[in-house]
Amino acid sequence: MGNVDLEHADMNFRKELARQPGGEKISACFMCRTCVASCPISAVNDRFHPLRIIRMALYGLKEQVLSSDFIWLCSSCYACQERCPQGVSITEFMTLLKNMAAKEGHMPAGIRAQLDLVKGEGRIYPIDDFDNKKRAKIDLPAVPTTCGVVKELFPE
Amino acid sequence: MTDVGRHPRIKLHTLSEVVDVKGYVGNFDVRILKKARYVDEKECTACGDCAEVCPVVRPDEFNLGLSSRKAIFSPFPQAVPSAYVVNINECLGHNPSVCAKCIDACDKGCINFHMSDQEIVESVGSIVVATGLEPYDPKELDEYGYTRFENVLTSLEFERLINAGGPTKGEVLRPTDRKRPRSIGFIQCVGSRSAKKGGNYCSNVCCMNTVKGTLMLKEHYPDIDIKVFYIDIRAFGKGFEELYTRSRRLGVHYLRGLPGTVEEDPDRSLRVAVENTATGKLEIHHLDMLVLALGIKPASSTQKLQEMLGLQLTPDGFFLEAHPKLQPVDAATRGVFYAGCAEGPKDIKESVTQASAAAARAIRLMHKGEITSEPITSQVITEHCKSCGKCAEVCPYNAITVDVKKKIPAEVNAAACAGCGTCAAECPFGAIIMNHFTDPQILNQVEALLEEEPKEKILAFACNWCSYAGADFAGVSRLQYPPNVRLIRTMCSGRVDEKFIWEGFEKGAPVILVSGCHIGDCHYIDANHWTEKRIKKIHKKMEKSGIRPERLQLEWISAAEGIRFARVMERMEALRQSVTEEEIAETIEILKNRKK
Repeated sequence: MGNVDLEHADMNFRKELARQPGGEKISACFMCRTCVASCPISAVNDRFHPLRIIRMALYGLKEQVLSSDFIWLCSSCYACQERCPQGVSITEFMTLLKNMAAKEGHMPAGIRAQLDLVKGEGRIYPIDDFDNKKRAKIDLPAVPTTCGVVKELFPE
Repeated sequence: MTDVGRHPRIKLHTLSEVVDVKGYVGNFDVRILKKARYVDEKECTACGDCAEVCPVVRPDEFNLGLSSRKAIFSPFPQAVPSAYVVNINECLGHNPSVCAKCIDACDKGCINFHMSDQEIVESVGSIVVATGLEPYDPKELDEYGYTRFENVLTSLEFERLINAGGPTKGEVLRPTDRKRPRSIGFIQCVGSRSAKKGGNYCSNVCCMNTVKGTLMLKEHYPDIDIKVFYIDIRAFGKGFEELYTRSRRLGVHYLRGLPGTVEEDPDRSLRVAVENTATGKLEIHHLDMLVLALGIKPASSTQKLQEMLGLQLTPDGFFLEAHPKLQPVDAATRGVFYAGCAEGPKDIKESVTQASAAAARAIRLMHKGEITSEPITSQVITEHCKSCGKCAEVCPYNAITVDVKKKIPAEVNAAACAGCGTCAAECPFGAIIMNHFTDPQILNQVEALLEEEPKEKILAFACNWCSYAGADFAGVSRLQYPPNVRLIRTMCSGRVDEKFIWEGFEKGAPVILVSGCHIGDCHYIDANHWTEKRIKKIHKKMEKSGIRPERLQLEWISAAEGIRFARVMERMEALRQSVTEEEIAETIEILKNRKK
């Protein structure tokens, strides 16, 4: 880890976060590290570190937090949130950061592809004729291969 | 403890429960339920022959279930009085004769199954509440696996293991294989400093208890590997830092970071995942045994006792002292004192200090045989009282008794009354006289202060303890503030009756200020809550009748806030200047019409 550059820190970022669901209590964090020790992602990938993300957000490193890809690594298992003694809603905070990042246009290609797939097909895993053939073999009714109605949910 | 049992002037009631407390300072009647012991306390020599023949085996509470006892037992060797006791719910019983082996075994014939619970009434002058604490139950902290893994112990269980008088005679053994552990971990803040599980306060004793545990372990087994997982080590007392340093010098590994998960290895040792703050890396520690440093919780009887004695609790659930700095052992109710963890988490030394202070405070109150109290108390005019019960509801000291159903008029207990005057302010029928701060006295002051040029004046009510003292402080500090403030002192802001405000406005006051101690600092427990409620009510009434509510202000000013007092007065002056003569005249008109 390099030096923390506070030159371009956005001091209003923590206030902006505190106003939104999930970010209300992040400043209560007293760095006991229960979240990190509970996290199944941190256990296998040291790039993901809930505490560090919270601290970066509190320092006002808005650009760095929102443009990073590590916020997308959270698996939303809620282990950290369940165990946080200070009652910080860490998982909901991650969701908040993801939403903010998406609004600012920072979204990893994989997530973007998934989103487009849902928008277009209504499903992440499309069903084709092959699946219906297999279903027919065991007397299951065919399901529609397209789900165009989803488009109405996402007006451009 | 034995000294207390032997003292000729101390009466000790064991196996007893306080059922009810009536009365006031100097004259408390305490109703006590003394449960049957089924053993003659005076005759029993605690020889233990009865327990030897008793067939009922139960977990020993004193050793936290790490050993067993019989249905007839002595809780621990130093127990006072030195006599055995029968747990009648566990005993097989003798009628019809099922067992009764203990009766045969007792040579002195002390055992008597015909004993029954007794009710005793004791008259006492003062009461010291020393009801102790309850350890936090770590079952809900599932990540530490207390219920799942046998080798995870609580700090109390560990204490019994390492204690020479404990079930293992001081030998630390693993519960699963009865072998000496090669490594032990301690997790701090279990049930402390948590907004969700346990208390959000620091339990005060767990850090030093762990340090003591590590020192004892190192003394017993110098080669043992000890790790302490903590957030902050709070070694703040006399000699504490030295103990902590000694523990570290002996090689105890203090590791900053709370574990997230604890899992069990096939050999029943434990795998603890924790991020070490020093390295910033997630570490897995393999330990033979894990000790959870439990936090302190208020005793479960606290609430019941609080209702019985009319005491107050802090948000944490401990008893609230009359003043955090100046009266740390007194309850707000006169004649009641606190000692030990009933008042808040504390260690032995502090408990002894507080208990000594409580005893001295009680003696100071009682030794003369009579007490002097302030003449500032309230008094009910029985003929005017409609027995509505409002006064009894607002009294912070439960000093007023009134029977609403039977329409028995209110009566003030002068010894219990502290003189805040909230009852007099709240009485809708003017049936309560607040001695030394009567309605005519205050109304005359209002009239006198607004006699000349009322539109130039700021009328302010200030409570004796905070705001009036704050004004004093502003004065002696030579602070500049508008000279047209006219103060009326009351003992508490709770005394400020609605009619004083209306009288003020009717006599042409442009603005009125009501000030008192900050919420939570009230010298009459919580009387200023009623001030706040009352002012809100008056604001609504003002709005309804067309008087600008801003003209009545409520401010909390403490005795140390001289600067704040001056600032508030400057604000009041600005507000006063905004009130025109026409507005004042209109208000007077409105109030006069209202009277008609």
